[in-house]
Amino acid sequence: MSMTIPWIVMVLYFILVMGFGSMFGRYTKSTADFFFGGRRFAWWLIAMSILATGVGSHSFVKYSAKAFQHGFSSTMTYMNDWFFMPFFMFGWLPLIYYSRVSSVPEYFQRRFNYKARFLATVALFFYMIGYISIGFLTIGKALQPMLPDFLNLFGLHITLIGDTGLMNIIIFVAIITGIYITYGGQTAVIFTDLLQGFILIFAGLLVLFLGFSYLGGFANFWHHLPEHFKLPLAHFNQPAGFNFVGIFWQDGIAGSIGFLFMNQGLIMRFLATRSVEDGKKAAAFNVLVILPISAIVVSGAGWIGHAIYQGQGIVPGIPAGIIPPTLDVDEIFTIAARIVATPIVFGFIMAAVTAALMSTVDTLINATAAIFINDIWLPAERVLIRRSNGSRLQKDDRYYLKVARWASMVITTVGVLGVLAFKNFATLYEAHGFFHSTLTPPLIVAIFLGIFWRRFTDHAVIWTFLGGATLMIVGATWPSIFITPFAQGSAMSGGKYIYISALYNIVVCVGVGVIVSLLTKPKTDKELEGLTIWTVDRARWRFKGGKPNDRPGEKVNLKYKIDDTGEFARFAREDMEKMSLDEGDLVYLCDSRAWMGGLKSVHSKAGKPHSEPGVVYITPEMEESALFTKKTRVVAEKEL
Amino acid sequence: MFDTAMTELTFGRVWGPLIYLYGVGGIFFLAGMIISTRSKSLNIKTRNGKKWFKLLLFGYGWYLFIHTSLTLAALYLK
Repeated sequence: MSMTIPWIVMVLYFILVMGFGSMFGRYTKSTADFFFGGRRFAWWLIAMSILATGVGSHSFVKYSAKAFQHGFSSTMTYMNDWFFMPFFMFGWLPLIYYSRVSSVPEYFQRRFNYKARFLATVALFFYMIGYISIGFLTIGKALQPMLPDFLNLFGLHITLIGDTGLMNIIIFVAIITGIYITYGGQTAVIFTDLLQGFILIFAGLLVLFLGFSYLGGFANFWHHLPEHFKLPLAHFNQPAGFNFVGIFWQDGIAGSIGFLFMNQGLIMRFLATRSVEDGKKAAAFNVLVILPISAIVVSGAGWIGHAIYQGQGIVPGIPAGIIPPTLDVDEIFTIAARIVATPIVFGFIMAAVTAALMSTVDTLINATAAIFINDIWLPAERVLIRRSNGSRLQKDDRYYLKVARWASMVITTVGVLGVLAFKNFATLYEAHGFFHSTLTPPLIVAIFLGIFWRRFTDHAVIWTFLGGATLMIVGATWPSIFITPFAQGSAMSGGKYIYISALYNIVVCVGVGVIVSLLTKPKTDKELEGLTIWTVDRARWRFKGGKPNDRPGEKVNLKYKIDDTGEFARFAREDMEKMSLDEGDLVYLCDSRAWMGGLKSVHSKAGKPHSEPGVVYITPEMEESALFTKKTRVVAEKEL
Repeated sequence: MFDTAMTELTFGRVWGPLIYLYGVGGIFFLAGMIISTRSKSLNIKTRNGKKWFKLLLFGYGWYLFIHTSLTLAALYLK
């Protein structure tokens, strides 16, 4: 197949995505907008935008390879997240939302102290940068098989093969990614991901159905797969490279907690929802509906590839050797899609997949910039202001927005350079596994115990990081002594346990945290107000600045007018009764066109009532922030 | 290149991982439900709380149903 047509389609697709993302840059007016999209979006919009991030981060390339080798059990990692949903939906999500923390390290400072924040920042920063690098590497590996060996561009002779070629491809992709993340911010990311979420599902299912057609129907596809290949869960502890129990602990436990509790990109998506209730809905819909679909979407090419491999030379129309036995399994997605699709469709599929990976990377860049601003820049600046005795002043928000954009660019560059550290791993899966097993356990244990165990102390969190990490290094150095008792029959590969070491790492971190907690003095309940699940109601009080109003109320559709004199949204008394709204309650106003998903919306407090039913008075600042126009009808609802 | 380990479909091979997943995973899930309700973060005395409580239980059953159905399909759908 000539690669010209697929590349034309891909370039057009990328231009479309960039244009779409940049269009939403005008909605970014502050750092809150840049990082959190102004906390305004509806659950369905966030749920769909999470799809592109989730699918991208786990990648078509990686899971198609596992699907090709091991069958339907490649879906395991997508379908083991529900166990932690009670913890997330009723613990972590309301805590971070109501306590208005901007990042995981900021929570560590409030729950523990600045030392814990520092350690969390360091760990999280490396984790995020590493993830960005792996994302770039995946994109490079996905695109490289489609490219010629060399490219002449504006007189430049650019190598596209080998390691140099891989880096050239990655640099090009990084420039494209940097453009709309830098100028768009979180709103651009959310809307770009929304578009890509739909396209990804379509592209993944398209490969699957084209594959069925290529094989002569679903019955033939099913017939070509061996029985054990069709089981949804892998063998309990064999082989070392892909077994159930290891992946359960590495991904189902450490990965699930890491993704839900530690992934700054995902956290920022949930903080961009208009309320905690919408965040819960987005989380539930994502795990119940989107993840099972995603599991099929990312694996389909691998299954089709396997069926073609089994049927080649036997089934009429499938030539022998179309999938060689010597192939690099990381290339199966590209190979299978190329076999079953026409050039235009192939170009579209590759564009969708590459763009999904870009979504993951841009989410991570945005999230890492948030950590940089909130956990490095601002604390450092506060120290300088304190030491300056008044000669240095706090800057305005535009300044921080500018810093955030520069930070995004620098992080993108560092992410590209980080590829050098990972490109020598045998597979992407190993590079990813390295991260999960070494950097996730201390952080997830510290977060988890911090939220759910009041007795967990400041000393214990430091020891969880330092002592836990030390014991993890000890385990990795002598795995047969320390990790084998946890291995449950899993074998080692190359002198180390690939997955089950996660169980050992979690156990030692929990062990250190619990022992040190029991030996040191805990904080008082008063000090922990609004910082653990046991006092989440206090966080709601603080969020509102008073007693939450939980009386059920209706939404009301209103016309808005400008009130230059007030500072809050003001409603007619009878509208307030319909909404069960009292003066001082938090209220959410959005464009009445539900399909906009809250893009044009604003939060406020309810001010003194007036006597014009069907009208809400808002300030000029609210009008500007919400991007309302004179024709806009507004739907208002009580928040708290 | 392919998974050739233990292709024999014994009871342990087929159902062992499923039991482990929903047993050990179920312990974490149960702990989450207990902590959420005891802390009143999930207040099952309210209508909204009851709705979420039921949805959480449904989610556990939903995934159990998916994995069981896929296992049965692998064994019996020819």
